[in-house]
Amino acid sequence: MSVFAVSLLKVLLIYGGMLTLAAGMTLAERKVSAWIQYRIGPDRVGPFGTLQPVADGIKFLFKEELVPAGANRFLFRMAPVLAAAPPMLAVAVIPCAGELTIGGVQTRLSIADLDISALYVVAIGGLSIYGVILGGWSSNSKYSLLGGLRASAQMVSYELALILCILSVTLLAGSLNLHVIVDAQAGPIWNWNVFSQPLAFLLFVVATFAETNRHPFDFAECEPELVGGFHTEYSSMRFALFFLGEYCAMIVMASLTATFFLGGADVPFWRDAPWYLGLCAFLAKTSLFLFLFLWVRWTLPRFRFDQLMALGWKVMLPLALANLFLTGVYVSLAG
Amino acid sequence: MVIVKRKELSPWERLYLPEVARGLALTLRAIFRPKVTRRYPEEPLPVTPVTRGQPRLVLLEDGEHLACVSCGLCEAACPAYAITIDGGETARFIEREPVRFEIDMLRCILCGFCEEACPKDAIFMSDELELADFSRRAQVYDIDKLKRPRAALQKRIDYFYGVNDRWRKSSSTS
Repeated sequence: MSVFAVSLLKVLLIYGGMLTLAAGMTLAERKVSAWIQYRIGPDRVGPFGTLQPVADGIKFLFKEELVPAGANRFLFRMAPVLAAAPPMLAVAVIPCAGELTIGGVQTRLSIADLDISALYVVAIGGLSIYGVILGGWSSNSKYSLLGGLRASAQMVSYELALILCILSVTLLAGSLNLHVIVDAQAGPIWNWNVFSQPLAFLLFVVATFAETNRHPFDFAECEPELVGGFHTEYSSMRFALFFLGEYCAMIVMASLTATFFLGGADVPFWRDAPWYLGLCAFLAKTSLFLFLFLWVRWTLPRFRFDQLMALGWKVMLPLALANLFLTGVYVSLAG
Repeated sequence: MVIVKRKELSPWERLYLPEVARGLALTLRAIFRPKVTRRYPEEPLPVTPVTRGQPRLVLLEDGEHLACVSCGLCEAACPAYAITIDGGETARFIEREPVRFEIDMLRCILCGFCEEACPKDAIFMSDELELADFSRRAQVYDIDKLKRPRAALQKRIDYFYGVNDRWRKSSSTS
């Protein structure tokens, strides 16, 4: 098999897997929320409601699409695409498993193997704010505009802490390549960065919640105050695209947390584990954080906006900076 | 003006994360608690004699004629104007019977006034509550849809007698 065919296969596999996972997340969200509230959750479509996302998708397709009067039509139509695309691009560099051979071609299970993949993820992740802010602005609605404004302020503040945490990890691994970062954590379980960088791990997890606009930082949506925020005016499949983007962003962030801090596709204590076990380990670690997203959403109330900004700038940023400084001192002394 | 006294948070509480962990533990325990959802069509609502469902007409022992003599008292008592009766003559001893007896279930508020108004014990509130159909016309129930053998309504009838015993004792059952 040619290298091109192998790449194509990997693209189909990883994107197919991610979109299926995103669809599954919509169901999981409803199921987990139901369980936490002593309910059963959707169980009518398919066995245990497993076909519910399909039914939802069909319903979205048949809904009427509305564009509000006075909206900027081009940007209004463009925004959901801009919201959904970045997380799908970011997943391209995430190492889902170690080395494997497909049809005689030695390869690693990630679509692209960039030397600066950590930088790439951060850069692409920063783009996702455009969808939210353009959607909020072009809707010609005060609620949407406020949602977009809040989202942009929030994402900019928390991206700093997020990137500083990634920097601490890359300092330890000595590379921006995610594969190298994963390999550096191979072996016994205490090689994982979560043990050498507990503070960075904590800050990173909190920042991912803010980055993906999830509770308790979902100020872009904020149902009680902003009637849904930036997507108030959206309907039909464009509305669904926003959610697809949000769930894909959650998957990307969860897999990044697993990659940076829990050794990604490494099987603990087994350096030469076969690739399919690595894939299973990666999926298990990712779903751990995906469940955390849902679990936190149905537990914590929303912050106040000033609390959110204070937490971001007065707590997270100084802590992340101090952590980066200490890591730098350690690396320069040890290395 | 009211001055709200805020509780001073201890340093431990101000760390926030321990309290978050406590909250998460609470919701995690909730996941494994028994569920309270009723799977409605499979698990119907509990029904007792007190349940006032849709009104139904009582059939006589012969299983053919209604107990109703089309006096129109239920029609008059109905606060929602859901009942329409057209009376006609009959060769039977009671001389009058309804040729048309319709209850618009979309108007019916299940108040039970018809049941209390009836002097002939001909109409009672059943335990039937399901109302779904595809047209409004189908919600107007005629005699064929309303008639029930007395046995089907017996629990409600017994309950009704128990409640109203002090003034219903002497009244006959058609």
